[in-house]
Order: sequence, then structure tokens, then C-alpha cells
Amino acid sequence: MELIINVNDIEYKLDVNPRMRLLDVLRENLGLTGAKEGCGEGECGACTIIMDGLAINSCMVLAHQARGKKIITVEALEQDGEMDRLQEAFINNGAVQCGYCTPGMLMSCKALLMNNPNPTDEEIKIAIEGNLCRCTGYIKIVRAVKEAIQNQ
Amino acid sequence: MKNDLKYVGKSIPIHDVKEKVSGKLKYAADMQLPGMLHGKLLLSSVAHGRIKKIDVSKAEALEGVVKIFTHENSPNTLYNSHKWFVGMEITKDERLFTDHVKFVGDRIAAVVAKDRFTAERAVNLIEIGYEELSVVVDPEEAINLEDYYIGQKKIESGSVHDVFSKASIIIEDSVETPKIHHAAMETHVCVASPGIHGDVTVWTPCQVVFQVRLIVAEVLGMPLNKVRAIKASMGGSFGGKGQPVLEPVCAFLAKAMNAPVKLQMDRTESIIGTRTRTATRGTIKTAVSEDGTILGRDIHMLVDTGAYYTNGDAVTMAMAKKAFRLYKIKDQRFVGDVVYTNTPIGGACRGYGSPQIHVLSEINMDNVARRLGMDPAELRLRNLVHPFDKDPINGPDLGNARAIDCVTEGMKVFDWKQKRLRPKTSGRIVRGVGMACATHGNGYHGGYQDFITMSLRMTEDGGVFLNSGIHDLGCGTVMTMKQIVAEVLDVEIDKILAPEGDTLVSPFDVAGTQASRVTFVCGSCAMKVAEQVKEKFIGCASKILQCSPEEVVMEAGEVWSSTSETVKYSYGKMITDIQSKFQDDISVSYTYTSPANPGVYAANFVEVEVDTLTGLVKVLDVLAVHDIGKAINPGFVEGQVQGAIQMGIGFALSEEIKVDRNGKISGDKFSKYHVINAPSMPDVKVLLIEEGEEHGPFGAKSIGEISTCAIAPAIVNAINAALDINITSLPVTPEKIIKALHEK
Ligand code: FES
Ligand code: FES
Repeated sequence: MELIINVNDIEYKLDVNPRMRLLDVLRENLGLTGAKEGCGEGECGACTIIMDGLAINSCMVLAHQARGKKIITVEALEQDGEMDRLQEAFINNGAVQCGYCTPGMLMSCKALLMNNPNPTDEEIKIAIEGNLCRCTGYIKIVRAVKEAIQNQ
Repeated sequence: MKNDLKYVGKSIPIHDVKEKVSGKLKYAADMQLPGMLHGKLLLSSVAHGRIKKIDVSKAEALEGVVKIFTHENSPNTLYNSHKWFVGMEITKDERLFTDHVKFVGDRIAAVVAKDRFTAERAVNLIEIGYEELSVVVDPEEAINLEDYYIGQKKIESGSVHDVFSKASIIIEDSVETPKIHHAAMETHVCVASPGIHGDVTVWTPCQVVFQVRLIVAEVLGMPLNKVRAIKASMGGSFGGKGQPVLEPVCAFLAKAMNAPVKLQMDRTESIIGTRTRTATRGTIKTAVSEDGTILGRDIHMLVDTGAYYTNGDAVTMAMAKKAFRLYKIKDQRFVGDVVYTNTPIGGACRGYGSPQIHVLSEINMDNVARRLGMDPAELRLRNLVHPFDKDPINGPDLGNARAIDCVTEGMKVFDWKQKRLRPKTSGRIVRGVGMACATHGNGYHGGYQDFITMSLRMTEDGGVFLNSGIHDLGCGTVMTMKQIVAEVLDVEIDKILAPEGDTLVSPFDVAGTQASRVTFVCGSCAMKVAEQVKEKFIGCASKILQCSPEEVVMEAGEVWSSTSETVKYSYGKMITDIQSKFQDDISVSYTYTSPANPGVYAANFVEVEVDTLTGLVKVLDVLAVHDIGKAINPGFVEGQVQGAIQMGIGFALSEEIKVDRNGKISGDKFSKYHVINAPSMPDVKVLLIEEGEEHGPFGAKSIGEISTCAIAPAIVNAINAALDINITSLPVTPEKIIKALHEK
């Protein structure tokens, strides 16, 4: 199946297996392995990417459903060698342990800030309610997002 | 203890944080090797049975399938994945693929295919004919069945019989804890590749590379030197990736196919087909005097190790030992019976028996306090161990055990007395507070061999290379070691290279990341090897600087003689000069054997809110107080505690791998297994008692496991106190609460 998608501002024309999910295309066809698979059923958020401005679980989207959409992955957060302020804040606040949830967390938070630059604590927690983390207890992650908001 | 520390005691981010936030870090699942094939396991769908027939013809016919392996065409070596050093004698009952399935999730076959999708499809086409056998899932039933009963562990100090025959107040409880899933976000995964010398290389997110090497070698009948195990980036373990599960299978597939193979589990496979927290049913009887002094205690634990032996008896012993190291109890008995059941396999899980034994003992402590009309915190203060107490069963000394400080400081900071005595509300929403204490260890001293070799070299450009078989599980081990070395040598963190375990090049470590030994034991080794390198460096430098070794000053990457402060060498220049002058290398290889295994202690204080209509519990606030000796990296310590609290809340309230009478498993997906998410997570305050421990590096003790040991009983105690009920079965689900309220 032919698929044209825009990922991180690059237009790709791919030939993919129609059963592939967006997550598979990103990881296997494009080598963008930042998005992870933690459950494959939309419950853990490790595969979160941004599609047309919204954070979505890329394990729940078939590749063809992403046709013509604009996708942003964690690999594009850093621009011109400069980290996104969320990335900086995650580093400074110790919000990263094993790091497996981190790309998904960052993308959920990025989508939140794109749509709502001044979220409350509750809104931050709700934005990441679909992102499970077993290492951090979320506390430093929420703290990091708050710091990123202050630094904007 | 040294106070003017430059690197130790600082919150520096984890070593690979930049690669992690940018998505660049490659985990095993992200690896691609040329010509790599993909494996997929077939797991049993029945809980107990003999395999009468395996028909792989349809699966094999699928385009892209390369080969299918079952018990018919694979080694039948028996092994025990818990075995981590060669001299360990242990019951062996696992094999690569079985013809006698013992639980839903047992390994029957593996498909190797050109791609993952084909492998997945092919697995579903394999036809299995089972002869179903009777299923035992209830440990109380298993204890009476010869095939299911493993054995008993018993420890006694003093005479429980004498105390109980005289005691007038005896409080008894029965407590149940479930099997839980570690829920690392990364599912189990492994990549293996054959070499041209009859060797095989295995990349795995693991906790003990030398154990991976040992198990692969044993199962495949290979010399240790032909197996290379490399620790891959770890997407979370918590004990779940401690015992090699996929590694021997993946190594076998790679060898058999003579091609690289990636073997990855999906979430359901990881939940049912790897390891779980060992389930327990405990009973406890505590004899006390009117003033709250514990006179004696009698504990029985029924330990359900699941379908295979693994660490069933080791985890029971771990529970037993903890029972003697928290309170001063002269007369105490622990009896543990270990059984098999046709349920998922038990294994290591953060705390290794400590969460289970403390759920039992700490719920009971609150019931003792209730019976005596005492403040439960005061009851504990009356009985907790004191610093430098001896272990009553001749285990390692408790060391600078600051359990009492944890409680007294915690009571103040949490405002315990005032919160506890707050008048109860009578409406639908009820609040309550609870607390609990716990202890854990620092390595294997007193139980198993506990030594590690590290080598350290100062390089010609002023860098430092610490070579050791460490494993960073996301807890910050690499940075912790760097901070220790940086402190000894006064060198910038960025100049230190400290790679992780690779059995080809890492010096030997006997036990890996287990038993809360890494900071205490491996950290001490890093400190000692750095001190020896420093001594050697100073010795040579003194000759070049023409002064006495005592006059040599090392500071911030520069070295000079205090007699002539104007001539300063960079470390790198000095190393280069030492090389040309003495043809010597400033490097040391050192084997450190741990001389001690003190206790670590914790007190957790929590406030909960219960909706008496729905039975829903919200944990509002947690204070975790820890006797840590010294925090090498307080940020990591706080992170460990906060994550451990998240895990403990799940253990207390929602997490359970449920197995029905027929051995069918529910809770085998995240949609059916509730891991605490951000909106349900309370604020967690961490308070550290840093009083130093003699044999810890810079006084440090462990944190990763102890931090999840007191939270569940503290929550249960808070719920029981708030509602005046006595739930003793975990997880405390809304249904159990509603039932208890009705029965009240
Ligand atoms: S992998 Fe997509 S939500 Fe878990
Ligand atoms: S940092 Fe490990 S899962 Fe979040």
C-alpha cells in the first residue's frame, strides 16, 4: 500500500503493509524509534506522538489513517541543536529514570502546551493520565512541566 | 563523615538523560541487525496438561516462516533461572520448551520468521493437542499435595511456646497478598547473534550479565567463554528482568538459525509469562504486655511460587529474616511453607519478600495498637530496634539502624498526632491516616557470596575509566558510581567513563543488581578502587614533583606540591609524565568483598480519603522517611522513593494478576490491570535521615527496594482506621471496602 505522510516536516512516500500501525511505520520504516510500544492497546502512552496537533497513541492508528496528516515525534522536539524547554525541564527536574515512557510523556506534554500554554496542575495530570510511568511516580514529571511553563 | 563534599550529595541527572529525552537511546527493541530474524513465543492456553500433539504444518507453510521450535527439536536441559552463580545448588525444573504445561503462559514453542507480523500470525496457526490435568491454584490446597508441596523454612529465636503459654494478650491476623506484575514500561525483549567461533552474543535489559551468561551456557551446553552477555538499555525492571527469561531461548534460536534473532514479548506475555511478585498468605500472632511491649511473635507464611521453583525458598528466607530485624523481639518464630501452583511464576520483585512480610506484620501492629488503645506510632517506638543492635538469629549486625529516628521525625513533619486525633467525619467521604515501618538489607553478606571486581584507570588526557559490570536500571547506578569516583579523585563527572556490564570486557561481579547491594557494595568497591588509584597516582606524582606523598595536592583535575604551588600539572600531563618516566600505568584492579549487611529502615505516613458509597480510595498525601545513611544523589533517592510509592499504592489498592479456579488469568492487559496513573498519584514528601553507615561509600545505604516496603500497609492501616474495619487482603478494592462496611 502506498502511503504519503508528513513526519517532522518531511514528506514521505512509503510502500507499507496495510496491517501496519502508525507506530510500526515510524519505528520500522522511518527508523524513528523514540516512540515505544508498551501495551499495543492504547493504555500506556509509550507510543504517543502528535498528529495534527493532538497527542495520540500511535499503536491505535493504522498507518493509512495517518495519510496526509502532519506527525510530530520526539525526535523533532530538538530544533537546530536546541532542546525544547520541556526536554530541558525534564532533565533539570530528574523526571527521567529508565526513559521508556519519556518520549511519550514529552509528546503528551508538548501537545498540551501547544493547545494550552498555561495549564493548571490538574490539567497537566490529565494530559498525561494515559501515559504510564513505573519509575518516577509522575511527581518530577509534573514538576518539570510546571517549570517549562514558567520558562516560556 | 566528610562534610565538604563536592560531587557526592549532589542531584545530578542520570548519565544518559539527553539521549533519553531526545528519543535517541536505543533499547533492545529498537535494535536492528543485518539479516535479523524475529521470534515469537507460543504460550500455553491451559493451566495444566500434557502436550499430546503439536501440529506446526499450517504455521510452517506460511510464507516468511523460517522454522518452528518445540520440545521436540530443542535442548531439554533442566535449569533454574534463579541461579546466578556457578556454585549455587538449586532445584532445576525449567526448560526451553515444555511438553508438560504447568500454567497459562508456559512456553511451548517459538516461531522464527522473517518479520514480526509473520511470526505473530504463524504462532496462531500452531495446533496443540493437550491432555488436560487437574489444576491447583489455591496454595491452601497445594500444601496438602505431594506434587505441589516444596518444603518448609523455619527460624526461631528464644522460645515462642513459653511466651505464648503465659501471655494474656495475643492479637492474631491473617493477611493475603496477590501476585503482581512489575509493569516496567518496556516489555521483556532480547536480541541474540551467533558468532563465527561457535559463540553467541546476547543483548538484554538485565540485572545480572554474569547470570545471563551462566544460564545461557548451562542451557545450551556451551563454555562460559563462548557466551557474551551485554546489558542493553533498560526500560524498567523492578526485579522482573532479574531472572533470565527470554535470554536462553533467544540465544538458542540465534544459534540454531545461525542468524541474529530478536525475541520480544507483548504486554500480556510479559504479565503472564515472565515473573510475578510471589503471592503469600500469612498468619501472625503477637503477644504483648499492657504497656505495648512485644513479648513474642509467631508467624506463618504460605508462599506461592507459582508453576516453577525459581526463588521460592530464597524469597521465603528473605521474608523470614526481615521479621527479626525491625522490632526487638526476643522470642519469635517464623515458619514458611513453599508451594507450587498452576499459576504464573514467582520471582524477584522490588523488595523481595519485604513488602509481603511487612504487610503482614504492620497491619498486625496496628491491630495490636487498636486493642491496647495506643497510638500505633508510639507502639512502634516502644519496640523498634536501636542503632547497633544485634540480629537475634545471628544475622549480620543491624549497623547504624535509625528506625526510631524515622518514626519520631516523621511524626513531627507529618503532624501525626494532631491528624490522628482529628474528630472523624460522619458523611460519605471519610478521611484517615495510617503509618507503617519496614526494613530491608544491603547486599548478600551473611547469606550469599558478595564481591565485585572493578578496575580503574586514569587516562593520558585527565579522564578516568571505571570498568565494571554494573547495570543501570534507570535508577542512576552509573552516575552514582561516577559521583563516588569523582569525589575520591576530585575530577569532573564528565571526564569519567563508566560503561555497563558486558561479560567479555567487564571484570567479574558475583551478584549484579540484586539485593539492594549496588550502592552499598558496588559503590564501596568504586570508592576503594579510586582510593587505591589515588594512592598510586600520588606516589608517582610525588617523585615527579620531588616532594613527599603527603605534600601532593590533588584538586579539580590538577596536581601539585604544597611546597611549590606555582607548578601545577593537569592530571593528564602528570599521567603522561609518569608513563614516560616510569613506564607505569595508573590503574588498579580491585576485588571488594562486602564485610557487612546493615539494615535500612523506613517509616511511611499516609492520609487517605474513602468514599463510603463507592468504596473508592484516594491517597491524599504521603510522607516517606528513610534511614539512608547518606544520599549520594538526593535527586535519585527522591525519584526512587516516589516511584516506589506509586508501585506500593498499586499493590495496596488495585494491582492483581487474578487466576480463576481453572487457572485462567484475568488482569493480563493494562486495560484490566490498573497501574496508578498521574491523576491518582498523591504528593510524596521524602525525608532523609542521614546518619552515615560505616561500610557504605560516604556512609550510604540502599533505597530502591526499602522504599516500596512500608507504603501498602500504611495505606491499609489508614483505611482500616478511617472506617473502623479490618481488611487484611490486598488489593483493597472498592468491593472489599463495601463488603467490610456492610459487615460492620
Ligand atoms: S503502546 Fe500505544 S498506548 Fe501502549
Ligand atoms: S522513567 Fe521509566 S517508565 Fe517512566
